[in-house]
Amino acid sequence: MATPKGGYFGKILKIDLTQLKSSVLNIDADTCKRYIGGCGMGAHLLFDSLKTKQDPTGEDSPVFVGVGPLSGTACASTRCSFVNKSPYTGFLSHAEVGGFFGNEIKWAGWDGILITGKSKKPVYLLIQDDKVSFKDAQSIWGKDTHITEEMVIEESRDPYTKVACIGPGGENEVLYASVSVERFRAAARTGTGALMGNKKLKAIAVRGTKAVPVADPETFHKVAAANKRFAVEREGFQGIKRWGTAGLLELKHHVTGSLITKNFQTTWYPDIEEIGAEEANRRFWKKHSSCYNCPNHCMKLGVIRGGDYDGLIAEGPEYETGGLLGSNLGIADFDLMMAAIELCDAMGLDAISVGGSIGFAMELFQRDILTAKDFGGMTLEWGDGEAVVEVIRKIAFKEGKVGEFLAKGVKKMAEEIGGDAMDYACIVKGKEMAAHDPRGDKPRGVSYAMGTCGGDHHEGNNPKGQAGRCMHNSLVICTFVGGYWSPKMFTDLLNPLCGWKMTEADWWTTGQRIRTLERCFNVREGISRKDDTLPKRMLTEKLPEGPKKGILFSPEEMKKVQDDYYAYFGWDANGIPTEATLKALGLEFAIDAMKKACA
Amino acid sequence: MRERDDNISHNVLEEKTSRRSFLKRVGTAAAGVAVVAATGAVPKPAKAAQKSAAKPVRYLFAERQNCTGCRACEYACSLHHEGVVRPSMSRIHVLKYKGVVDVPVICWHCDDSPCINACPTTPKALVKDPKTNGIKLDAKLCLGAKCNKCMEACPTQFIRRNPDNGMPLMCDMCDGDPECIKACNEQAGNPVGPCLIGGKNGFGVNMAYRNVTPEDAGVDLIQNMFYPNEDGERKE
Repeated sequence: MATPKGGYFGKILKIDLTQLKSSVLNIDADTCKRYIGGCGMGAHLLFDSLKTKQDPTGEDSPVFVGVGPLSGTACASTRCSFVNKSPYTGFLSHAEVGGFFGNEIKWAGWDGILITGKSKKPVYLLIQDDKVSFKDAQSIWGKDTHITEEMVIEESRDPYTKVACIGPGGENEVLYASVSVERFRAAARTGTGALMGNKKLKAIAVRGTKAVPVADPETFHKVAAANKRFAVEREGFQGIKRWGTAGLLELKHHVTGSLITKNFQTTWYPDIEEIGAEEANRRFWKKHSSCYNCPNHCMKLGVIRGGDYDGLIAEGPEYETGGLLGSNLGIADFDLMMAAIELCDAMGLDAISVGGSIGFAMELFQRDILTAKDFGGMTLEWGDGEAVVEVIRKIAFKEGKVGEFLAKGVKKMAEEIGGDAMDYACIVKGKEMAAHDPRGDKPRGVSYAMGTCGGDHHEGNNPKGQAGRCMHNSLVICTFVGGYWSPKMFTDLLNPLCGWKMTEADWWTTGQRIRTLERCFNVREGISRKDDTLPKRMLTEKLPEGPKKGILFSPEEMKKVQDDYYAYFGWDANGIPTEATLKALGLEFAIDAMKKACA
Repeated sequence: MRERDDNISHNVLEEKTSRRSFLKRVGTAAAGVAVVAATGAVPKPAKAAQKSAAKPVRYLFAERQNCTGCRACEYACSLHHEGVVRPSMSRIHVLKYKGVVDVPVICWHCDDSPCINACPTTPKALVKDPKTNGIKLDAKLCLGAKCNKCMEACPTQFIRRNPDNGMPLMCDMCDGDPECIKACNEQAGNPVGPCLIGGKNGFGVNMAYRNVTPEDAGVDLIQNMFYPNEDGERKE
């Protein structure tokens, strides 16, 4: 078994929470090159270790925390990837999160952490280079993510320890609970928080002091510096740097016409001036914050002054959090929106699914499908920020009728209510969509409909883009930096790092291989063409106002998107990878499973 | 646009650089500037490196409120001194306090040199270079992990141990041309300006600014940046 030349340590840390033991899983150079790392490596490991339709909350169901070859090197690679079978959708999902956590895993000498088993009592994991310890977490169980992080760092006696933890949302196994990383960042969209809560794993704390091996340091460091400079000089980069993603709130309202508003009823929201980036800049933002070695510092921190939430430090608004918990709920009060965003961070909940679920409930109230009687005397009206904050807390603790009901997510809520409630449910593959309306921003519709996870805005805007995004997510590089780089710039960076001879063609093949393997996993779980579509509202209701008035994502367009997509990846008309494709990509081991799924 | 632009990394590979000239520039994002400049993609910048070599930077200053916590300085420092990206071996370090503020912890190159005064060996294992103000460590004289004296004496708690051999990590000012300052400036367009500044004559740093632990500096920063004129209570 050949060990990788550079970019990898060739070791994945295997954690068994049932036995409270750790072991080393060696990975060879060939596997590294075929699946890169992050979501690709996760798909590879999970395809092997999970059986068809296995319960994701079972004892032997794993969670993979993956990093890529570029993590912890001179390249501005910041993210890490949480990969698991989502308990929310039942499909293979991955969520990427920025910060320093991924780099710290790499510096500790690991290419990823594979967590299996279930602990009997709450524990947290402390990884200091090769030393892995399981610590008692009974005293921090029940605390919010901010306090958890502080307590874990204090207990580790090293202020440079980086922590990923769950809050009450994850502990109570809310299916869309997130993993909170370094206080304000979240790997949210996979339900990993619920799985960690299920495994009684409160936090993962990592501190590393090693250096990533590099095959040809001279060339690599030179190219890394040039590539970073290249990204810095792009125009889009300057906008994100100054305004964060919050700047998109106004842009998508005024120009693109894709700002999510009132559960996708429209994209026109004049009150955006009250909650957008300019308002944030005027009254809220105090500090820019950045991920490892990134010149972008898109994260903006601020503090609420005056009112009920005086003194609350929060991060945002970002485009997704501001869209879902602002315009989507008709909120025009900046402070209440920030309080809601901050509460999602503190409780460890996915702000997108929370916003989607509350927005859905609000629309049902608007249409008198739900009444105060159903919600124990509580009503949810558009723009009622105080109710939103209260409801988020209730969701995290599954408290009362409201909390328990909303914690189920849009799909199950719609199914339970029945009738025409499903018409108003804006979900793809069982998951709420992010804050871009696919009618105004059609390429984003491709990402929602065709992506692995469903309703995910980060999976590429066309078939080729999706193969490229699979590479980004496997290298776990942030799209605000890596998104500006061409495949050639990536291969120029990877070859001296890992000692590979990767060509541009190999780049695309690897992306297709990873995407197809993810698809194979999900085909086993029963996914097919019928799931690769947008919700009914997108296909039948025209946008009533705004810059994209009268536009529809027509079913014909949807069909063309699907056909093009399957043709590009070499899947059959039903979206099942064909035998020839699997052979060409070197995924022969999946052929039997695909035949079984078709039968 | 892509077709034209993506030649950048390739041009870098094509460019013939001698190992020596590379080593001079390695590790800083400044290398990026020089390289890109050579390809003609951006206007040629002034050769800052040569200019500052003539007039060595003798003092470092960190404008703490400007730090965004990207740790580019750590990466540049470890690359310059160790040849690898390894923040645990970096001299300069950035503490993220309560996940909110970032405290750059630097060597102020104090004129009263508490660390050198505290060094128990004879002759001293720590020596200040009179030209650059950089502090050099003589590994043969240093007692290593057995001794804590310089670390205890440092009023900023700047000095950390080398994780491999327990020796203290001292800031040698990169012989008058600190890589961390270049890296900080390279994180270009930081809307609030770079955090690290270098100067020849010192900044008259007041002792209250220097004599704080990173944690106390963090408390101060949260107070000053988020709660000016208030008592600083965080609401749950």
